[in-house]
Amino acid sequence: MGIRRTVQYFAGAATALAVLPQAALAAVATTEAPVAEATAAVAEAATGGYVPMKPTPGKGMPVDGGIWFQDQYSPIGDYGSWMHDALLMPLITVISLFVLLLLLWVMVRYRRGKNPVPSKTSHNTLIEVIWTGVPVLILLGIAVPSIDLLAKQYETAPKEALTVKVNGYQWYWGYEYPDNGGFEVISNMLPEEEAIANGEPSHLAVDNRMVVPVGVPIRIQTMGMDVIHSFAVPSLWFKLDAVPGRLNEKVMLVKEPGVYYGQCSELCGARHGYMPIAVEALPKEQFEAWVLEQGGELKSAAPAAAAAPAATATETPAEATEGDAPAAAETTA
Amino acid sequence: MNTLSETAPQPARSNGRVALFALSIALGMLGLGYASVPLYRIFCQVTGLNGTTQRVDAAQANAVAVTDKQMSIRFDANTAPGLAWDFKPENPTETVTIGARDMATFLAKNNSDKPITGTATFNVTPTQAGVYFSKVQCFCFTEQTLQPGEEVRMPVLFYVDPAIIDDPDTSDIEQITLSYTFYESKKG
Amino acid sequence: MMATTATPETLPVHDDHAHAHDDHGAPPFFQRWFMSTNHKDIGTLYLIFAIMAGVIGGAVSGIMRAELAAPGIQYLGWWTTFLGGDGANFDETLHLWNVLISAHGLIMVFFMVMPAVIGGFGNWFVPIMIGAPDMAFPRMNNISFWLTFFAFISLMTSAFMPGGTGMGAGTGWTVYAPLSTYGSPGPAVDFAIFSLHLAGAASIMGAINFITTIFNMRAPGMTLHKMPLFVWSVLVTAFLLLLALPVLAAAITMLLTDRNFGTTFFDPAGGGDPILYQHLFWFFGHPEVYIMILPGFGIISQIVSTFSRKPVFGYLGMAYAMVAIGVVGFIVWAHHMYTVGLSVNEKMYFTAATMVIAVPTGIKIFSWIATMWGGSLEFKSPMWWALGFIFLFTVGGVTGVVLANGGIDDNLHDTYYVVAHFHYVLSLGAVTALFAGWWYWFPKMFGKMHSEFLAKLQFVVFFIGVNTLFFPMHFLGMQGMPRRYPDYTPAFELWNKVATDGYMIMSVSIAIFFVNVFWSLAAGKKAAPNYWGEGATTLEWTLTSPPPFHQFETLPVIDDKATGGH
Repeated sequence: MGIRRTVQYFAGAATALAVLPQAALAAVATTEAPVAEATAAVAEAATGGYVPMKPTPGKGMPVDGGIWFQDQYSPIGDYGSWMHDALLMPLITVISLFVLLLLLWVMVRYRRGKNPVPSKTSHNTLIEVIWTGVPVLILLGIAVPSIDLLAKQYETAPKEALTVKVNGYQWYWGYEYPDNGGFEVISNMLPEEEAIANGEPSHLAVDNRMVVPVGVPIRIQTMGMDVIHSFAVPSLWFKLDAVPGRLNEKVMLVKEPGVYYGQCSELCGARHGYMPIAVEALPKEQFEAWVLEQGGELKSAAPAAAAAPAATATETPAEATEGDAPAAAETTA
Repeated sequence: MNTLSETAPQPARSNGRVALFALSIALGMLGLGYASVPLYRIFCQVTGLNGTTQRVDAAQANAVAVTDKQMSIRFDANTAPGLAWDFKPENPTETVTIGARDMATFLAKNNSDKPITGTATFNVTPTQAGVYFSKVQCFCFTEQTLQPGEEVRMPVLFYVDPAIIDDPDTSDIEQITLSYTFYESKKG
Repeated sequence: MMATTATPETLPVHDDHAHAHDDHGAPPFFQRWFMSTNHKDIGTLYLIFAIMAGVIGGAVSGIMRAELAAPGIQYLGWWTTFLGGDGANFDETLHLWNVLISAHGLIMVFFMVMPAVIGGFGNWFVPIMIGAPDMAFPRMNNISFWLTFFAFISLMTSAFMPGGTGMGAGTGWTVYAPLSTYGSPGPAVDFAIFSLHLAGAASIMGAINFITTIFNMRAPGMTLHKMPLFVWSVLVTAFLLLLALPVLAAAITMLLTDRNFGTTFFDPAGGGDPILYQHLFWFFGHPEVYIMILPGFGIISQIVSTFSRKPVFGYLGMAYAMVAIGVVGFIVWAHHMYTVGLSVNEKMYFTAATMVIAVPTGIKIFSWIATMWGGSLEFKSPMWWALGFIFLFTVGGVTGVVLANGGIDDNLHDTYYVVAHFHYVLSLGAVTALFAGWWYWFPKMFGKMHSEFLAKLQFVVFFIGVNTLFFPMHFLGMQGMPRRYPDYTPAFELWNKVATDGYMIMSVSIAIFFVNVFWSLAAGKKAAPNYWGEGATTLEWTLTSPPPFHQFETLPVIDDKATGGH
């Protein structure tokens, strides 16, 4: 398995070198294309009845014995993994091998048997300038795409963005949809048997997923309701801490429909390892159908009148912390 | 046992003075550790770091030129676990004119049978907008006490500084989110 | 440059007197070992303490690796019951996991690496290498050791105190608020914090002692620019301790008052900010990693020079590279906090600043190689360890360059990739340097030659073991396995299994270490004053092995001309 992945990597790195990450970003900026394809791809999600999507094995989840990044399904993931695979990884491999070769060379060439009388050289200004200057140049070379990558990650959400508020609780997640009436989906880990019965990876499957539309920028806002948690989805190159008393925000964009798993990534107490994340990306119409099914409303319908259905939809975190009791807005399978 | 003074030549500085110098560095850093609490707060207030909003008086607010550009503001309300309040914005989003004063209202209700005093923490996202988000009046400036079952409307009077348009870090912001979290007051 | 050196012939050192001094010098057993004011005895105490703490910290990681060998929870329940808890309570067993990871980190950082490199080798060899009779403040030296000892007792005690969900402090070694404040009621975390206070106070005292000793007690002619690089490394380390530890002390004191006296420094309920704690912690925590590795750099410099029979290449560059690492180490702390919601400008700054550290680190790596270049290399056991160090530290260093990129760290932050990175620089870096120093100086300290065969065998087994243990963690991290997880999805099983196998190989090397130590102490040949030969030129080689109880009663004079200085 590991070897297959290694081969994949080298093939992938070669192609990645050829493709500029900006091109990848541009391709996804126009959102229509993936949505159209996706409608056909997810056939079983008929209007009205939301059925949790079956995850594709190996997509959006770790693979058996995998040695590389999970395949990326967001533009920023394409850019980040390109930078790692095409720039950083070759570079650090070459540096490590260079040091290793130098070590082996001096060990062979200057062993006592071969070189009984040591030289007394202890200075060489030129070489010292070189081994200070060359790393500086290499680091500058890294810094340019690195800073650009950061700038891209921090691009603010455009007008059409959907807002999803991610609340971290000990020890589960709540996904609030303030643009859609403000309902909150409470998401707990599925027991191992249930996950396997569903055809999902254990420790990663959840009862209620965070459902989002494909190809639409999503303004993720995180908040910790008790201690610090961290909302992380490796295959979407996304990680943002959920800090109590302070809202964090970052944009996420999913390129194609699928189920993308993640896990809490900041130590938050006993069941830190048992509050996984599952993001299900659906074509826009199916996402909207899902929203309606949750008792929510569509963004375009009434942005200002959202306060009205508060009685049915909003739920204070205080209630939510009471545990697994399904909230008004929560899906019951 | 020989003492050091018998064996070592007298150094230029006594051991005690060097030790005192080192100790003063350590104590200075200790002081700096504590001083970091107010310094951090001031730094955030001045630079808007972490999305810290600005507090201004009415005179400053009046001096701001109103632009013809509009911006969306989102309101986010949270309560700490254990605080038996309902707390939510009257409208989740509003569109405001940059530079113009606007009033947003939050609704809070005490669901318990005891009076509860709360204080709110706040920030805005994207965080770089903090320095341009100015509050003239806010319920978060003081503690709020709600009687059992009492429901109140809590206003925030704010404006977005027109300088936000010219700052390359913030010029592309389409929407600012103003977030509050109510905690049961510790000092109460 | 022979700046760091002095040859036996040129030094008026009176070894013949040593035994006479020994007779009236060494006090009876209790005074000698419990009220010691002798830097060599205190150094020995620190080394014994560090070895014992290392065994405990290593055993803790053994429990962790056993648990992680397969998905599911296998052994934690048993251990919870064994430690007096309720093994049937799932949350309590998971809490034990958090206690184990916290204990492993705290023990290895504060009670194994630091006491060994600074307290142990620093105490032993800094005074000797600068030609001083002892440390500047021998009694404070003793207090430092016993504070460290009781700090350890306090940490061990915390494991048997209620700590919230279960017994012990399960906050991670970083003790982040608010998990460590209202997230962990019970005295366990208080005891852990108190432990850090004691260990911190001990280290600050030690730092003051080293700084005074190095500034004031150098033998005539031993200028700062002639000091051996190990002394330089301890001097820089001492300043880092002095600047960093008080900030930790302030931060954890504020945690303590937040926990017990109703303050809200880090509690949003009272207007505090939990992120401020992280800033303060890492303002200490990042220099702390250099505190652990810099003395190792010093040790490696001495060893490489000795076994190449050449002075260190670019001595001044080496010394000031350490100073540069120390200085830059203070302005990069937030790269540990890339995902807390820093602004883009903060993240760009910390990305750029962090990468700068690669430059002085590269200077050190290349200077070591240049020292060997043209040398006459002899592959004694310490040299095996030193060569291993240079390679392993390089591997750990380059993954640091990857992690320095804030945009890449968004994926790797808090995954096993980070665990792999810092174990390559610490477990495979600092610990390899420790073993290098141990076998370099073991005969000097204890007067008996060790088995070269066993020391080299230990290296080979250790090298295979730690690489098998930690290299697969890169794979796990890139695949997305988060840190501090007792359990995982089956896809992560293969490399976790391999890592656990690596742990078992590594533990064999530790067994070889103990066999070698005990065999050598019992039956090793008597060590000559300079058993490494002409390459070993620093002052400790002018003394008997072990050195007399009081050395340099007549101070050595470092003669520039005689030693071929620049």
